[in-house]
Amino acid sequence: MLAFALALLYPLAGLCAPIGHWQWDGSIPGSTASAVSVSLILTGIALLFDVALGTPVAWYLARHSGRDTIVWEAAVLVSVLMPPLALGILLSLAFGPSTAPGAWLLRMGVPTSNSPLAFTATQIYVSIGYYIVAARAALAAVPADLERMASLLGLRPCQVFRRVTFPLARLGFAAALSLAWVRALGEFGAVIVTAYYPSGMPVQIWINLQDAGMPAVLPLLVVFLLTALPLPWVIHLIAQRRHADANP
Amino acid sequence: MPTLEAHIVKRRRVFTVDVHLRLEQGERLALFGASGAGKSTVLSCLAGIENPDSGRIHFGETVFFPPNLPLYRRALAYLTQSDSLFPHLSVADNVCFGLRGHERNGAQRWVEELKERLELGPLWNESARRISGGQARRVALARMLARRPPLVLLDEPFTALDRPTISELVDAILQWHRELGFILIAVDHRADILEKLCTRAAAIEGGHIVQQGTWPDLTAAPATPLLARLLSTG
Repeated sequence: MLAFALALLYPLAGLCAPIGHWQWDGSIPGSTASAVSVSLILTGIALLFDVALGTPVAWYLARHSGRDTIVWEAAVLVSVLMPPLALGILLSLAFGPSTAPGAWLLRMGVPTSNSPLAFTATQIYVSIGYYIVAARAALAAVPADLERMASLLGLRPCQVFRRVTFPLARLGFAAALSLAWVRALGEFGAVIVTAYYPSGMPVQIWINLQDAGMPAVLPLLVVFLLTALPLPWVIHLIAQRRHADANP
Repeated sequence: MPTLEAHIVKRRRVFTVDVHLRLEQGERLALFGASGAGKSTVLSCLAGIENPDSGRIHFGETVFFPPNLPLYRRALAYLTQSDSLFPHLSVADNVCFGLRGHERNGAQRWVEELKERLELGPLWNESARRISGGQARRVALARMLARRPPLVLLDEPFTALDRPTISELVDAILQWHRELGFILIAVDHRADILEKLCTRAAAIEGGHIVQQGTWPDLTAAPATPLLARLLSTG
């Protein structure tokens, strides 16, 4: 087990590789600070949309079992299983000037590529499926008879969600959110097609790699890891701990 | 004085449940029959967990069906085999769960009485996760009665409990029935429990009421051989 864990963590040793002095400044096109703020702000916005749009869908899928549910689940899975590069190309075509929606958006002055909107929309597309699948599992784990009992005790559906469903599913929701966070923040294949500018961290790392080599990559890579990894990692540990406490 | 009038028609795989009920305030009715006879279907239609296929359910001025009134607008309490306690809350929060802010203040003495009578004091601040099955049933009963419901539905709530606990809970329910005057409908397949809890009984077989009356009526002349057998073994 130890050998396996060491092997799994071994890629982190790359941070100590002898590649010369790390290049911290903005001598490369697009600064590190700008890439970090683009990634963090736009990923945050994308997650708000994931939660607002994905939670009702996850609830519907968790609480209904009809034939139509299979169709909706299949649609959600397509977004999860779609290779990112393919998704990026399809998005740029579907919202490009050659399609009716794309042409209409451009006429309305909405830039559908290389803009914060395109960046955020791409992140929503790549992450919302993951959010829905994980949130659905969290909601499905809340016994429906508890929700029914809360209704019988006089609570309206939104009160049932606030006082029973959400508190019981909150760790699952946190896990869903952290999964979506990692997915959106780390997205490269789709974003590089739809929103080369403004460059988020993954695209900026690639630009640095192309233009200045490894010494310019590693500082941003460290920031990237520090923003992407701790949230899901801590949430996972808390969930494990709570599970162990609940099932001694 | 709310009266419950119900005609419930609900198709099942093997038969159709078709039951008429009429209960005045304070009445206590037992729905008695073998497992799978349709007793629980009647209660879950009254509670709103299932929708009848046709019929009508009126409770006083309130129409439960049709159209199907949402669960949260039905002034009733429903106790089942499952305690359905909220595991993330304490015993106290479970008991007071259905009380809104102003009700909570007004019901303080009543909640205290429930707490004392059901011996919930030592558990009051415990997590609902950490109490035993018998304790959970007492908490579920207190939670059900905290809102002082005018209609109480009991669906085999004593399953898996020992005799002393059952006797204790039945006594408590009867005492509060005297105080609150609710309509009580209880379902069980054990005649002795129902006999103690209810004054009147309706025997159900294949989704239909085959006999109604007082317990002495039923035991003196059971309408069907199955009912006779159930009464003799209950």
